[in-house]
Amino acid sequence: MELEEMKNAWSEMNNSSGTPSRLTTQLLDQMTQNNYRSKINRIGQFEYMGSIICYLAAAYLLANFAKIETMIMQVFAFIAIALLLVLPIVSIRSLCAVKNINISSNTYLDTIKDFGIRKIRFQRLQKLNVSLGFLLMLIILPVFASIRGKDISQIPYFWSLIFPLAIAFFLAFAGWTLRSYNRMLQQTENMLRSIEAE
Amino acid sequence: MDKKTRFTKLITQNEGLIIKVASLYTNSQQDQEDLFQEIVFQLWKSFDSFNDQSKISTWMYRVAMNTAIYNLKSIKKKVNTIPIETSAYHLPDEKDKSAEQRIRVLYDSLQILNLLDKGIILLYLEGKNHQEIAEITGISPSNVGTRIGRIKEKLKQQITKTL
Repeated sequence: MELEEMKNAWSEMNNSSGTPSRLTTQLLDQMTQNNYRSKINRIGQFEYMGSIICYLAAAYLLANFAKIETMIMQVFAFIAIALLLVLPIVSIRSLCAVKNINISSNTYLDTIKDFGIRKIRFQRLQKLNVSLGFLLMLIILPVFASIRGKDISQIPYFWSLIFPLAIAFFLAFAGWTLRSYNRMLQQTENMLRSIEAE
Repeated sequence: MDKKTRFTKLITQNEGLIIKVASLYTNSQQDQEDLFQEIVFQLWKSFDSFNDQSKISTWMYRVAMNTAIYNLKSIKKKVNTIPIETSAYHLPDEKDKSAEQRIRVLYDSLQILNLLDKGIILLYLEGKNHQEIAEITGISPSNVGTRIGRIKEKLKQQITKTL
């Protein structure tokens, strides 16, 4: 089939019956009554929930900081608090940038480039988040144990089995996630290059 | 005529355009419906700022296609598309099957194109001239011509493989 034939097939589809479909009618009613919630505005619901959890955990660590006795655990707690406060801010800032886009005035080419650049920035940020999240998981467990007055080395098989298994699991998870982000990053960069090159 | 009535009339007249864009950039019926809603919402949001100096179809295509890009989950070179829901259109009965088959071949073939080429060919199929395509996409009219030539070649090869 030639492209001209395709064009004919395309134009054979009558664009409108003159009456809106059920979906359109419902949608227009919702929209004009301000009951419709944009999908773009819904972006970040999980991130906001996650931020609240992070801040609650940071507040818990701060409130119990005095109970942590050893110096090393205090340093771990300090790092954990800093990560719990900073990680959500970084995530939410990148999401807010997506909401401030001008859909009606940008050209299609500008939109593709802008989306690609935002995507690359977001994917790099996610890589950083995964790595820092991994660090957070490693240090927060002994800190919590210390707050509850438990010596982590007294837990049976902790150093010989539990800790190495946790490390192996988190390394595998982080490796898989980072590989996946790298792949997406590569695809985005290739797409931008293909547009720039031609 | 109030804003709501004017907007409803506009969407009713151009529902097919939005369905075509929504189906070209999604890969499931649910995603297609979500994108359709998002496009109508973005059109409603920017309806006040629509400048009468530009053609209404230029504004609609720009909003619809830009919304489709921002709704992509990832920016793979290929965006898997689903064939357009032909029941949403009014095809002459005797032509239904052959037209539907041709549309399916066309949609399958469009999967090989990158996002920019996909947008250009959509506008080409919609009967837009080089100047209008350039205005919507932001590339020069001469570049539009060059790209359409290349896309035709790519699609021809793809269709030959498919059939």
